[in-house]
Amino acid sequence: MIRSRSSRLIEPFAALCAFLSAFSVQAQELGHGVQAHGFIDQSLVHTSDNNVGGESDDSLTSELREMGANLSWRPNPDWLVSGQVLARWAGEADRGKLRLDYGFVDRTLIATGDSQMGLRLGKIKNPYGFYNTTRDVAHTRPGIIMPQSVYPDQMRNFFLAAPGFSLYGNSENDHGNISWQISALRPEVDDPSLEYVFLIGDRAGRFDGKNSWLSQFMFDMDGRWRMGLSLGEMKMGYKPSAFGDIEIAGNHRLPTWVLSLEHNTEDWSFTAEYGQTKVDASGYRIFNTNHTTEAMYAQATRRIANGWQGYLRYDVLYFDKDDRDGAGFSARLRLPAYSRFAKDWVLGVRRDIDSLALSAELHSVDGTAWLAQSDNPTAGLVRRWDMLLLQAAWRF
Amino acid sequence: MRKLTLTLCLMLFSQFSWGVEIITHRSVSVNTLSLASARSIFGMRQVKWPDNGRIQVFVLADTHPTHIALCKERLNLFPYQLRQSWDRLVYAGMAQAPIEVANEEELVNRVAATSGAIGYVKKVKPNDSIKIITIN
Repeated sequence: MIRSRSSRLIEPFAALCAFLSAFSVQAQELGHGVQAHGFIDQSLVHTSDNNVGGESDDSLTSELREMGANLSWRPNPDWLVSGQVLARWAGEADRGKLRLDYGFVDRTLIATGDSQMGLRLGKIKNPYGFYNTTRDVAHTRPGIIMPQSVYPDQMRNFFLAAPGFSLYGNSENDHGNISWQISALRPEVDDPSLEYVFLIGDRAGRFDGKNSWLSQFMFDMDGRWRMGLSLGEMKMGYKPSAFGDIEIAGNHRLPTWVLSLEHNTEDWSFTAEYGQTKVDASGYRIFNTNHTTEAMYAQATRRIANGWQGYLRYDVLYFDKDDRDGAGFSARLRLPAYSRFAKDWVLGVRRDIDSLALSAELHSVDGTAWLAQSDNPTAGLVRRWDMLLLQAAWRF
Repeated sequence: MRKLTLTLCLMLFSQFSWGVEIITHRSVSVNTLSLASARSIFGMRQVKWPDNGRIQVFVLADTHPTHIALCKERLNLFPYQLRQSWDRLVYAGMAQAPIEVANEEELVNRVAATSGAIGYVKKVKPNDSIKIITIN
């Protein structure tokens, strides 16, 4: 029996809805050290040109949605078992497949009052910048969509979470807090978006994750300043299909780092992150490359009374920091130069009412670098475009 | 002498200006906490007492005046920062959330009834069977 697309979408949606509603009343406390939490959000998108989250061009799409639920169990203070399932919809790029977002065991090895050190084993969220670990939870994001320079949705699955183990520590003193995590992992690379990003199209073969590592060091000074460095190297190899593949086996190596800085006052938060990722592809017939992507954004958020806040962000992504305007790429491959950068001004407003957050966001973008190619045929891309996003998000 | 009186007055004033007292279950062996420990406990990073007993944190809603007083006067944080740090941990599976209760009366009752519990109230009543903790 062939199932319709809508029924495939509705099944995980209904299952998660049932889960969310079962626990939503006095949600988190289930006794015996068990807690449940969850979140759901729905966005509406309108764009002047190009598509975001479905067919938004001169239209309105509602195919931008996330929901997730987690359980955690702390049988005693030294052990924690956590798992979260997630379904995400984002146009053609993500169709709501229910998946394990994370699932791991956490063992505290040393706990001496203000300092802790421990080990996590399983599928673990990757700390990368301020926001990567909870990028799918609307309440924790700095806006309706993530700053696409440092947190591109097309690379989301690659960087989000991976099986492996990590050593972490946390140390507190009267002036602040230092936390760190070092992970050995094997990235999940089954997302077709990755082939669009790294092999300029959906290829017949597939990527395989290779042994990689990521680390993060975060300093919190009196809650007023937060500074972080995320550092690592992700690796994957391409296995061509036996039939009709234009490419041969090759390897991608991506050394990466992000610097994060935030200043908090009662009414204001100023956040800036800057990162570079080297893309070193070798062994291929066509898609060998050695370039460095450059990503940065700065955001000012103003908290106003009654749960209102407004924010302004400038977000810039260059696929190649030595070819920022894409001219070299365009000359080589006869593809639009503006597909190699994106400069995005964002103005947003959000209102929190208990567990509900309502947001509206305006984007004015020059460039198409972070658009999902599965939603946007290259031939039809428009360089300068605007976007309006509306979102309702609820969590427990 | 005037200086001493002024200092004492200021101390008294600051004592009374604290709109919140940190309380624990009576079995908790700790009497004072450093600012670092208090932040670590209410930040859900420290989960056990020095005697290895489990810490159970009870809180009020983010907008409750006593919660705001705890954050600003005792932890030297803004309530939104505490909420953000809980969310970062809870939705990545790296810690559990504090248990939120509806009002101060319920909070006192839950702390009194839960071994290893910590919470806060605006003012402890004489017949509350809990322990008051100081931060130094």
